[in-house]
Amino acid sequence: MSNTNTLQNKIQKEITELTRSINTIIDNFKQLKNPLQESKEKVPVATNQLDKISEQTEAATNHMLDLIEKMSIREDEVISGLRELRKLFPENNEKMTRLLDIIIDKVNLNANDAFTLMNALQFQDITSQQMNHAAALLEEIEVKLIKIQEVFGTATESDLAGAVSHQKKGRVYDPHADLYEKKTEQKDVDSLFNKVKTDS
Amino acid sequence: MGDFKILAVDDSPTMRRIIINTLKRAGYQDVVEAQDGKDALAKLKVDKFNFVITDWNMPEMDGLTFVTTLRSMDEFKNLPVLMVTTRSVKEDIMEAMKAGVNNYIVKPFTPETLKAKIEQIMAS
Repeated sequence: MSNTNTLQNKIQKEITELTRSINTIIDNFKQLKNPLQESKEKVPVATNQLDKISEQTEAATNHMLDLIEKMSIREDEVISGLRELRKLFPENNEKMTRLLDIIIDKVNLNANDAFTLMNALQFQDITSQQMNHAAALLEEIEVKLIKIQEVFGTATESDLAGAVSHQKKGRVYDPHADLYEKKTEQKDVDSLFNKVKTDS
Repeated sequence: MGDFKILAVDDSPTMRRIIINTLKRAGYQDVVEAQDGKDALAKLKVDKFNFVITDWNMPEMDGLTFVTTLRSMDEFKNLPVLMVTTRSVKEDIMEAMKAGVNNYIVKPFTPETLKAKIEQIMAS
């Protein structure tokens, strides 16, 4: 009899402990509700911000391209003007022809630098893909947060549908896009092509 | 390089401008642009091109699907195609080769590489 009582007491004690633990877990979960809601609300803000950065960088890059193109046209005009001017001076006017050659060289250098600058603007395409990748990850997190809220009963299927409908359509990006760290360098791509050509 | 017409396919307007400017500086004056594979196919149906430069990641129709579609059409089976993309994972490069690209450039590229690849493809 005393053994049964001891066992009963033990079970009762365990159940009380278990109930206390469950209540603590429920309390903890309840405390999670607000931060969860806050996080869910912040995700679209962050996603929009990334898209905005992408759009503004593209606009700025295109503005720079406009200017570089105009500069290049003007430099070409200056060079051809200087060449015409050079023809007007007799070959024996060494001082003047030398001076004009120096100026032509300098303008040519400027034209080359403008072209190099234009090429460096490729960064925009790459960073835009990186931002699209980050935005897509945030959109995935938003959906997961809503699914957790559904478990708590603080979100419904229509909340999920709403979040999905706000997501930007047609996000295309290379998840490995990188300005400096290519997975395969151009020389290795070339060897790959040469190898296949030789093998076939 | 008269009568040599290039179709430049890229969804990024910035990249299209950079590619077109690079090509023009290299002497290729006749360049038409398309924003994705679907747009490119439509342009290829109404105009004659000697060379195609295409990106991979594009909406509507990506570069890989575009090249595969081109190679399935008799009239474009031998049209030279150069892929210019950020994708630098080896498996991707192999996939592009299988799809039928003639060569492959990883972005960011140098003007010298672009010019050399076009010349290399046209010489082969």
